[in-house]
Amino acid sequence: MLQVRFDGRFDGWREAARDLLLRGIAPHHVEWLAGDEAGGLFGGHVAPEPIEPSSPVRIPRQLLAELETAARFRTADRWSLLYRILWRVAKGDQTARLVGDVDGSELHARIKTIRREMHHLHAFLRFSPITCPSGPDYAAWFEPAHDILTSAAPHFAERMGLHSWLIATPDDAVLWDGDVMHYASPCPAIWRQLAQTAQESGAELWKTYYESTFNPSRLNRDVLQNNLPVRFWKNLPEGPLIPQLMSRARAGAQRDGQAERVATRPGKRIERPGQA
Amino acid sequence: MVIVMQLIEKLSVLADAAKYDVSCASSGAPKRSSKGRSGLGATDGMGICHSFTPDGRCVALLKILLTNFCLYDCQYCVNRRSSDVPRARFTPEEVVTLTLDFYRRNCISGLFLSSGIIRSADYTMEQLNRVAKLLREEHEFRGYIHLKTIPDADPQLIAEAGRYADRLSVNIELPTEASLIRLAPEKQVVTIKQAMHAIHEGETEAKAEKRAPRFAPAGQSTQMIVGADATDDSTILHTAQSLYGDFRLRRVYYSAFSPIPHSPKTVPFEAPPLLREHRLYQADFLMRSYGFKAGELLTGPGNLPLDIDPKLAWALSNREHFPVDLNSAEPALIARIPGIGILSAKRLVALRRQKRIRFEDLTRLRCSLEKAKPFVITQDYRPSLAYRESSALRQQLSEGPVQMGLW
Repeated sequence: MLQVRFDGRFDGWREAARDLLLRGIAPHHVEWLAGDEAGGLFGGHVAPEPIEPSSPVRIPRQLLAELETAARFRTADRWSLLYRILWRVAKGDQTARLVGDVDGSELHARIKTIRREMHHLHAFLRFSPITCPSGPDYAAWFEPAHDILTSAAPHFAERMGLHSWLIATPDDAVLWDGDVMHYASPCPAIWRQLAQTAQESGAELWKTYYESTFNPSRLNRDVLQNNLPVRFWKNLPEGPLIPQLMSRARAGAQRDGQAERVATRPGKRIERPGQA
Repeated sequence: MVIVMQLIEKLSVLADAAKYDVSCASSGAPKRSSKGRSGLGATDGMGICHSFTPDGRCVALLKILLTNFCLYDCQYCVNRRSSDVPRARFTPEEVVTLTLDFYRRNCISGLFLSSGIIRSADYTMEQLNRVAKLLREEHEFRGYIHLKTIPDADPQLIAEAGRYADRLSVNIELPTEASLIRLAPEKQVVTIKQAMHAIHEGETEAKAEKRAPRFAPAGQSTQMIVGADATDDSTILHTAQSLYGDFRLRRVYYSAFSPIPHSPKTVPFEAPPLLREHRLYQADFLMRSYGFKAGELLTGPGNLPLDIDPKLAWALSNREHFPVDLNSAEPALIARIPGIGILSAKRLVALRRQKRIRFEDLTRLRCSLEKAKPFVITQDYRPSLAYRESSALRQQLSEGPVQMGLW
């Protein structure tokens, strides 16, 4: 078993993988060690003899893009799957990329999860305005399940115009200063604090809207949880409202579609036109 | 503080008043970006659901009425003039403030604005346009805007709306003249269709000329209420099919009729028929994406079955096409197999260029095996004779009891 240590980033893996491929070292001989990860018991640094002479490797550009996306998936064997697919394609086995293949199916499942998680970030991240004069205009705290921040963040530069903003996560952070994106890993403590403090304030209007646009007569917990997984609730301003609204709907508010705070207020009928 | 309180009061009334319109799409807009520019907002064609309410519905846009004062007396509507609901009215500036604030917080991707009919159709449409104009011109807002179109409004006003909005919609609500006369006396099928026609014309003109100002690039949609009257699914689906054909609608939405407070005797006070609504959406999707005709899904009057999905129902009554050999069949026919969607059909076709399709490939593509099993042939699999009877098969594949009452 050959232990290959690299910096834990896709570009570092790519360099190492290219080298291994040129040396003709098969996937089952390689153990990937990202950053300062500890290796397995039977690892060693002795490379097995190359099985065949090296020749230039040509890899389709689209495959590289697929591998880069799948590399964002957090799992113990993330790098070995990628190398196995790369190896098979380099040997002329194109099925390794297809959904119908054992490896291809796993690759595409990971890509799908990554895209979904990026979409989750685009959807469920909430910016809060920052009052501190030296900070950015807006800040957000988000807890993604995979390493998607750098690929997901540019979306907000398109949306926010000239505003500056910060997104902090438990692992890393990005700051857009209105012009340039700054990436930091690990997330600086001061950024983390800024994002988490900002989160606690405001959003009364948004919570009002959320409550009123809900139709209690259509209560449907399963669909809600499939689309808005529970792990996101704690960082959403409307999160604490969800269990409250559900239990009130079950306790009788489900009778019709109207929001409770509207039902308790006096109504007004309108005269027929021409009869006023 | 007082101002915020007033805004909260208004928002709670006017969001509650708007929620019966189910459309929430924020997709289909052209690419726009505010990167490095003044103004706010971007669109890239993809919709984003920023939240979901406990009814499982997506929150993509700020969906509100400008006012819920209304001169009309549509029986199914919570805002009809005879309804005893609290009333409120936003100023256009208030709607703009809310939209921009929610947008910056990343709570929404844009605005879906509708209104009760006040003074006249033209006046109401002018008010809606004013909000859109303020957003687009004064605030350089590049997010998504969906405007409800008032059917009797001047075509000039509809044209103006199309310049600001990504999407326009006119709700047909009830698909038959008879139901409209009974339940929505101020509305007429003919003026609704005229408005749809005006929007379709606007779209066609904008597309014909490269330099023409853009017109509702995300197209138009409509909504039909399901279960407020006795109209059957066959009528609803045939109406949808002709709307897709005549006016190139992007979407028809189906809204299970929700009971409203102070419900008039003319409409049911029952749990919304959510499963029926779900089957209609499935059938609609089969018409838009799979090339099914309404007449194939329902060959006569009546409703879609509730216990099985419409594609399975079609397959069970058209057994002569099955079983289908995945290694040789036309892609379009593969997509008609229950349990195999369009994407899986494409992937099977790609895969069979490389190798013979085996049954385990269906597992890997995450097809619904129980549903597909009686209808497919692969290299190593043929359905058994036990699958011959459609009635027995239906019993086996049925999703169990129909919707329970909700209270």
